Amino acid sequence: MNKDVSADEEIRRLVLARLKTMSSDTIKCIGEEGSFDRDELIAHVKEGDSIGKTIEQVEMEWLRAFKEGIITELYN
Amino acid sequence: MAKILITRPEHDPLTRHLSYWNSKIIDYAKQKGVNIIDLHKEKANRKEFEGRVRKVDPSLILLNGHGDDSCVAGHDNEKIVETGQNEELLKGRITYAVACSSAKGLGLSCCANQDTAFIGYDEAFILNLDRHCLNNPLKDKRAERFLDPSNRIAFSLLKGHTCQESSENSKNAFKRKIIELLLMGNNDPDALDDAKDLLWNMNHQVCLGNKEKTA
Repeated sequence: MNKDVSADEEIRRLVLARLKTMSSDTIKCIGEEGSFDRDELIAHVKEGDSIGKTIEQVEMEWLRAFKEGIITELYN
Repeated sequence: MAKILITRPEHDPLTRHLSYWNSKIIDYAKQKGVNIIDLHKEKANRKEFEGRVRKVDPSLILLNGHGDDSCVAGHDNEKIVETGQNEELLKGRITYAVACSSAKGLGLSCCANQDTAFIGYDEAFILNLDRHCLNNPLKDKRAERFLDPSNRIAFSLLKGHTCQESSENSKNAFKRKIIELLLMGNNDPDALDDAKDLLWNMNHQVCLGNKEKTA
């Protein structure tokens, strides 16, 4: 990864890469924000708005959980 | 015997799915002979909610809808219970709110009363749907991954479990589903995405107030 790229930008790139693999049949409802398909989610992440930030937070929480041993915890 | 009041607005994909999946709770409650007040669609409004809570005095309130830190909404997003407005209606009862962030403000505020419990979410509740099932929510296997663990709370409370136990039962159901999805690997392209969102919902489900309270 390019050292000039900020951590926020790295996360955004990771989230965008993951979203691109999402099924086109998916509709993701994010509380009162609304319901979004894959392309709409990608647009919100690129925009960096509140919906995009929520998607990034979900990804970060997942990565953090893995780092902290969520798999072991889940199996216990 | 518990008395239950449930709100089931239906004005967008999220509320429609929640409404259909909550019909399973209604069926179960009826089987058990529980008195249940169902504020469905347009009936999920503030006037009806306030009147029924005062008249029926339910021990358990199940709120489905949109929300924010300070409120839970009903049909067409009308605020039906709100901090500083009518939150006293939740006092002395158990509330389970599937509504974004409502545990942050409304939940904390109403649980200042010692005999009150509030189970809910302190961040957005995420629900993934299959677009082919928008007209048949109960056939949506994607949604089932999210709404079966959520429904465990009401089922557990109806079986006599405490709020704390009911929340733990729900979280255990979330965990089992996440493991199941991780084991699916590449057999299901949506498994990883759903697992992440389930972990989010599980981590942000909170049980506030009198955790030992039963319905």
